[in-house]
Amino acid sequence: MQKIPINLAAAGMVLAKDVKADDNPSSSPICGKGLTLTASLISRLSSMGIQSLNVEGHPVKIEGEMSLDEALAALEKRFSKVADDALMLRLKEIYRRQIVRSMGDNNG
Amino acid sequence: MADRKAEIRSIIKDTKSLPTLPGIITKLSALAENNKASVNEMARVVSSDQVLSAKVLRLVNSPFYGFSGRVSTISNALILLGVNVVKSLAMSSSIFEMMEKNFLGLWEHSLGCGVAANIIANRLGLPDIEEISTAALLHDIGKVIIKIKLSDDYSELLSLIKEKDICMLDAERELLGSDHAEIGELLARSWFLPEKLIEPIAFHHDVMRSSTQFAKTSVVHVADVLVKCSGFGFSGDDYVPRIQPEAWKKLDLKEALVEEIVAELEDRLVDCRNFSLEIQSGSEA
Repeated sequence: MQKIPINLAAAGMVLAKDVKADDNPSSSPICGKGLTLTASLISRLSSMGIQSLNVEGHPVKIEGEMSLDEALAALEKRFSKVADDALMLRLKEIYRRQIVRSMGDNNG
Repeated sequence: MADRKAEIRSIIKDTKSLPTLPGIITKLSALAENNKASVNEMARVVSSDQVLSAKVLRLVNSPFYGFSGRVSTISNALILLGVNVVKSLAMSSSIFEMMEKNFLGLWEHSLGCGVAANIIANRLGLPDIEEISTAALLHDIGKVIIKIKLSDDYSELLSLIKEKDICMLDAERELLGSDHAEIGELLARSWFLPEKLIEPIAFHHDVMRSSTQFAKTSVVHVADVLVKCSGFGFSGDDYVPRIQPEAWKKLDLKEALVEEIVAELEDRLVDCRNFSLEIQSGSEA
């Protein structure tokens, strides 16, 4: 799954999450997940003020974006000064899982 | 070193070249204290400054507040967010603009930190969420002052960080005998900001020194660490600082909750990144 700004959305991409009108998680969705985007749907969502979409796979290559391995190596480097701290190790593990979750389908 | 400290103090005190807060903040404070003042009156005051209104609206509609693209007027913002929030927005948008121009990486770090603090405070059900977010947005204001007013020292700081492979805070203490938290506090006091904002700015690296705003300071400290974990923005060095166990304990953070906070934060940081790219492409045009 990739979260992309709506101006990078293209017809044929598949929604990986429901689209909601605002940040209120209890509001009902405008579009359901699994729906394939069309040009007219994208422009309608855009005119409703929707700014970003979650789509299946990783269709947009953003400049300077890291691969999963690079992202994990960068995480190790950031934590290198606190590698002796049990609490920080737990926090690093949370971030490692988060990176794998969000980029797991990046290499496929 | 003591001389150096006195020198820094006098540089901060030399208010001529110091960024000032717009006079509108004082007017708004006066109006806010007067219970009879209506929202319309206050909206008029803010709207009288076009540039400030634009800045406030931009910040309201940024991912920082999560009202993306839905607040179009100042009176709308006042009704939705309340007077105190709009006041702190007017204040932080001025400071924030100064950061954006001088220090894009720090601006991103601060924006991310504001978002993180907002999520943490929300999840923990803490009072004064908006003030906590504002404090987080401003927590590194001392670094802006170092960069603007002590620019030679700033370049030296960056080389020192590289050469010795140390973090910004240690480099500041070694070179200046002071640090951005202390300098930020001096500035915040010279602006007469409320203690709710001063303590998180002054003690976000040393939460135990906070006397009256321990919870708020702890949130800002944890938010700072989380954004460093994400690697979003640049605040002087790339290293994640150690979380102070006292802050962790005070907020009673459990691993499952932190996992949720991190997931929400990473999602919102994608919006922050796009917002930042938008601003950069806008300023080039």
